Amino acid sequence: MADGSGLSGEMRVIEDAERRGRGGRWPFWRPAYAHGDPLPKLTCQVSRPAYRFDEGEPLPDEYKELLIKMLRHEGERAGNKSFLGLMATCLDIAEALFPTAEAKLLKAEYLAEELKHAIMFHRIAVGLQHDFALRDVPYAHYAFHLPRETWADDAYFHFFVDLNGAFHARDWRESSYIPLAKMSATVERDELGHSEMGYHFLHEIVSDRRGRELARRLLLKWYPAALDMFGRSDSRNAPKFIQWGLKSVGNAEIRQAYKTYVDRKLVALGFEPPDERANRRFL
Amino acid sequence: MDAIVEEIRRAYATVGITLDAPAAYGTYYRLLCAGCGRMVGNVGDHLLPGMAAELVAEQFELYASGLLGCPCGHQSQTTRQLDTPRWLAARQRFDA
Repeated sequence: MADGSGLSGEMRVIEDAERRGRGGRWPFWRPAYAHGDPLPKLTCQVSRPAYRFDEGEPLPDEYKELLIKMLRHEGERAGNKSFLGLMATCLDIAEALFPTAEAKLLKAEYLAEELKHAIMFHRIAVGLQHDFALRDVPYAHYAFHLPRETWADDAYFHFFVDLNGAFHARDWRESSYIPLAKMSATVERDELGHSEMGYHFLHEIVSDRRGRELARRLLLKWYPAALDMFGRSDSRNAPKFIQWGLKSVGNAEIRQAYKTYVDRKLVALGFEPPDERANRRFL
Repeated sequence: MDAIVEEIRRAYATVGITLDAPAAYGTYYRLLCAGCGRMVGNVGDHLLPGMAAELVAEQFELYASGLLGCPCGHQSQTTRQLDTPRWLAARQRFDA
């Protein structure tokens, strides 16, 4: 039940719990947004109809198919066992490899926030198609499956993979599916914060000479996977997503915006960004 | 996915790491030190064909120098037995 704040009662409870959890370094999005929008605007360059669809409205077949496809890829749903499995790996890493008590607590805040997203996307799934809400969809992309054997691996996972989520959520601000557009700002902000958490850990790791060498080597594993996450530049579905207003730009454009962003951050860490074509699987 | 899991298992065995039983809901696996059983990481079963062996081979020097692997030193010792000159070079390079 919505109230005057625009939030449902259950989300108000979560917002309140989050607010009480703020302090110290968490949430990492706070400093990132303090000086304005940290992510680039993704502007549609093609002429298209201005569709708007809300929950409960009949959806064109192709539109619904593409929307569910996109949400399957996104994965953060309470009813998606594979998402819960991925979160379990984060718990395992936090328990087994944490460098400091503070890092462990930050990881716990991260998990709490991802579970909040799982509730938000669950609501979208239920509003879209009931049997989708409990569908198990293993993450298909290899970036979600790369081995994480050190805190540095985990830091790269957050820096790169959560940032991918932030860029997609940034794009959803203009989504023709109203429930997705409504939650996009929260998801974008949180995912950017998770990326900043990874970046914070990387900063700590590279402050030591051996840590810097380790991070330099592991970058060669994570960088191509990060760029590959946006899919093939010649994707046949991308123009359909754009035409229906589910995305604003194609895979190549969003990848390029992402690359510009991460390259600047890598240079600030003292790293030269790797060759963008090296070890890539999906160009 | 069975073939990929087998690839992962074989790749990690070369450096003294065992693939545990599937963790939560079967998509991810804990990586355990074959020497002492401690958890040293995790991996998912949707790596691309050939990727596991490639990743582990590229990390040889990191295991050799102790930048990756268990604090008990099992992976470093395993890589030493695999290729002692390369192990020595890695140790010198990373000041281990």
